[in-house]
Parts: sequence; structure tokens; C-alpha cells
Amino acid sequence: MKAMILKEFRQMRRDRRTVALMVGLPLMMLIIFGYAARFDVATIETAVLGPDAEVVASQLGGAFTVVKLDPAGTDDEARAMLADSEAAVAIVTGAAPKIYVDGTELFVAQSALRRGESLPAGLESEILFNPDLNTAAVMVPSLIGLILLFIGTVITSLGVVREREQGTLEQLAVTPLKPVDVIVGKISPYFVVALVDMVIITLAGIVIFDVPFRGSLFLFAVFGLIYLFVVLGFGVLISTVSRSQGEAIQLAIMVLLPQVMLSGMIFPLESMAAGVRWIGYLLPLTYFVQAMRGIFLKASSFGALLPPLVVLALMAVAVFGLAVWRFRQEVAPKTAKVATS
Amino acid sequence: MTAIDVQGVIRRFGSFTAVDDVDLTVAAGEVVGLVGANGAGKTTLIRMILGLLQPTSGLIRVLAGTPSRELRRRVGYVPQNLGLYRDLTVAENLEFWAEAFGGSPAAPPFDNDDLVGDLPLGLQRRVAFAAATQHGPEVLVLDEPTSGVSPLARSRLWNLIRARAEAGVAVLVSTHYMDEAEQADRLVLMSRGRVAGTGTITDIIADLRAVEVTAPRWQEAFDLLDGSGPPVTLAGRSIRVLGADLRAVRSALARAELRAEVREVPATLDETMVLLDS
Repeated sequence: MKAMILKEFRQMRRDRRTVALMVGLPLMMLIIFGYAARFDVATIETAVLGPDAEVVASQLGGAFTVVKLDPAGTDDEARAMLADSEAAVAIVTGAAPKIYVDGTELFVAQSALRRGESLPAGLESEILFNPDLNTAAVMVPSLIGLILLFIGTVITSLGVVREREQGTLEQLAVTPLKPVDVIVGKISPYFVVALVDMVIITLAGIVIFDVPFRGSLFLFAVFGLIYLFVVLGFGVLISTVSRSQGEAIQLAIMVLLPQVMLSGMIFPLESMAAGVRWIGYLLPLTYFVQAMRGIFLKASSFGALLPPLVVLALMAVAVFGLAVWRFRQEVAPKTAKVATS
Repeated sequence: MTAIDVQGVIRRFGSFTAVDDVDLTVAAGEVVGLVGANGAGKTTLIRMILGLLQPTSGLIRVLAGTPSRELRRRVGYVPQNLGLYRDLTVAENLEFWAEAFGGSPAAPPFDNDDLVGDLPLGLQRRVAFAAATQHGPEVLVLDEPTSGVSPLARSRLWNLIRARAEAGVAVLVSTHYMDEAEQADRLVLMSRGRVAGTGTITDIIADLRAVEVTAPRWQEAFDLLDGSGPPVTLAGRSIRVLGADLRAVRSALARAELRAEVREVPATLDETMVLLDS
């Protein structure tokens, strides 16, 4: 038994990825849970509109941070600001004063309602988009992103690595097939399966969990397609640096875990320490979650969805482009030199 | 007609020269064995012939052209690890590889609906051979095509390879197994990236000799001779001292008072490779 234990430690020590997983992952989780996993919200972005906006804003205390002050602002503008995620709380002053709270920001909304004493007294409040603060309504649109990420990275990378393990990638390289045929042929089925999954999860969310779908179907499709390029790109990229399926899974975990924790899917980005929040802004799931919540629950305008769309599109070009380039290196044989030395 | 023509090819990886000024030709209808120990440069040379790797310098022509995508339709390749999808059936594999080469699939070499991964190695090798030849290549490159299979399965495979050569296909077989090398019309022996000999096995072995020692205290004799300089191998309880001088071996054994029968024998191909690499 002693020999077995010793052997296992020796093997463990030489497998750098496993060491990284065993040491790096707990450290990462500690940092994430320590700095990011907070449900309490330190700042609540608040818009104050209407004739008494300045007076009301000056009375606001606690976590309420005024992001917009507009004495000429109207009730409709307040709703639009919440729909476009420009603020989490909007206070309308004047003849029909009201407080609107964005119900899709679950923890922010709960926090805002808890801190009612910091708000002007006697105002009627209304929770928009998700009046019952239903968790499923917020989680299901985000889960679409997570599930696609899982399929895109884990399943795709395993499929490509299996090809290398079997030695068929080299065999493909000696066929007349063009590298682009190999790459498109290899990735397309995963793309199609992921698309079908996206539709199934969406329909299941709507039917089983009563998640509303209020936004544009076209924008939903555009985001889905662009996001798929990013996640499939991650999958192919992982496969190009993994010699075995085990290595691919290890790397996929490294890619998946931070996205689950830091994308704002579970813990609000606003409540994370600045030191880890910026990591969240580097992750594609962050932007997909924002967009899905906006489309499903708030029917956000195209203008409000444009920033995440642009970021995701840039990520798609970078990640998918890099992945295809690396994959091409493997399946595109070099032309032999004709000239003699 | 020369189907494969390699002239003065060099391939370097950094400061390491894997293939060093190699010349090689394979004519249509000829089976040429590329032999050499592991690391001799065989695989690097094959990868360059297939167009998977670019030579640092030198000339490679396959069917009178430089390796290109179009030319690949006329070349068949069976890698050592077979290059088959283990989770597809025989017919599915043949169908896929036929389409990859732009042709229609051949009839499976035997009746079987199993996944390729579930077949014995001998049958897998037959499928790999069928997959690589169904598009009617004029050049066939085989990397250790019969390693790990039974003698019967080996004979069947060589029968198929020979039939292709008879039909005019140029066959290049890379191997470090004696029994595969014996099947070739001509051998090219590589050592440390260079061509160390060409011709039949007899030509290559030429006058390389080994001293065979049969001793009752064979372990002591082995220990003694192993430290004496020339490479020493063991065949059963017979010790073979490669390229050694008969009298020197005899006197070394006599000095150690080890009784033994000592005689000079021709070296085998394997021993030739060891001698060249030592």
C-alpha cells in the first residue's frame, strides 16, 4: 500500500495540469467565494426623475447611488431606463410619484426593498419585469448560456481530441479534403446540436417555469449564434492544447468555473470586489447573461443590447478565429519544397 | 517509372537533424522497405513524402509532382495507428474515407457489423488497408503494416500488398521488424537520419558479423562481455557480441576462466541496426 501511495504522489507531481487543478482550483474558489460570492449589494444604481428630482435625490441615503438626475424626466423614461439596464431603481417625482424596481436584478431588487427607509416615505413602489421576484425567471435565461458553454467547450473539445487520439487527424491531413472542409465538417454538427439545445431549453423554460419571453426573437437568435461561435471556439482551442480527453476536461473545468461564478449569473456583478469584478467583464457568459435577461424579461431596446452584442462579436472573432487558425495548423499539411539547397 | 523520388532531403528541428541528405526512389510495382531503429528518421521522411512536413532542403517528387492536395488522390497511406474511427463500423469507415478521397466505397474486406474498435488488430489492419486503397492509389505508404498481428493475418496482409504491387502500385513500407523487411524487394536502411545501406537484407548486412557465445555460466559471461565495448545481445541463453573480434572474445572468456563455445555468425538485420546506431 505504501508503494501505491508513493507511486500516486510521484505521478501526481509530474502531471502539471492535475497539480494546477488541485492547487489552482481551490485557490481560485477561495478568491471567488471570498470576493465575488456576495449576495449583499453595496451600490444600487438609481435614477431620479420628475420636478422634485433634486430634492428627492438629496434625501437618498445608504446604497442608493444616483446615476441620473432629470427634473424633466417622465414615468415612461423611468421604465425605459430600467428596461435598458441603465438603472436598477427609478424614482419618479411629481403628481404621481412612484418607485420602480428592476425585478430581473434579484438581489439588487431585494436589497432596495429592504432598505426602504432610505427612500422617500409614502411612495408607491412597483417591481417591473419580474414582479414576484421569481428566481427561475432570472436563472433560466442565464442557464441557456451556461448549457451552451458546457456543450461548446466540453463536448466539442472531447470530439476533436478523440480524433487526435485515434490518429485520424493525421489521416485527414493526407486526404484531398481542404482544411476548411475538415474544420467546418467537424464543428458543424456540434453547432447544430447546440442550436437545437438552445431552442429546447428556451421552450422548456417558457413552458415549465413560466419564464416570459418579451423581447425580439431575432435578437435572441443573433446573440445565440454569436455566442455559439465563442463557446465552440473555446472547445476547439482547448482541444488544440490537450493531448488526451482527460486533459481537455481539466481545461474545460478551468474555463467553465469562473464563468459560472463571475458572470453575474448567480452573484450580482455589482456586489463583487473590484479586484475580481473585472474578470467577470472578460468572460463571454457575462454579456450573454445580460443580453438574455434583457431580451427575455425586459424587452430591452437594440441600443441597450448593442454593447454586449459588440463585445460578444469581438470575442467570437478572436476566440473562434484563433481556434480555427490553430486547428488548421494541425490539418493543413505543408507543401513540400521543390528547390534544392 | 519512378513513383517516389527523394533527392538530398534534409529536415532539421532546431539544431537536431532528423533526416540528413537522404536519397530514395521507389518505382511503380516495387515494394521498398524503409528500415531502421526507432528514431532513425523513417517517420519524418514518410511525413515529408506525404506532404505533412516540409523538408528543410532537398527535392521530393511523388508521381512526378510535388506533394499537393490533388496528388493525394493518387496516394494511399496506412499509419501505424491505423487512422480508423474506432466508434464507426467497417462499412461506415470505408464510406467516410472513400468520400474523403472523392470516390465510392469498396466492399468491406469481410462481413462484419461490429465497430472497428471491437475487432481484433489483424482485422483492423485489413480494414485500414482497404480504406487506404479503395480509391485506387498509385503510391502506397505503409507504416509497420503488420506489427502486432498473428502470422496468419500477416500473410494475408502481405498477400494484399503484393497484389497491389503486381498491379503496378509503388509501395513504401516503413518497419523495424525483420519479417516485414524480408517481404520487400529492396531495403533502404536508415540510421541517425542518414541512409546507411541499400539493397537486399544480405546486401545490407554484407560482412557484418557477430560472435555467438554459448556458455554454461552464461550470466557471468554476459556480464563480462557486456562491459567489454561492442554491443551485446542475448538470444535465449546464447550471447551475441556484435561486430567483435572472435579471438578477443575467446581470450576475454579464457582470462575469466569461463568455459564456452565461441563461433562467428552473420549479423541479423536487427543487429545491423544496433551496430549502426552504437
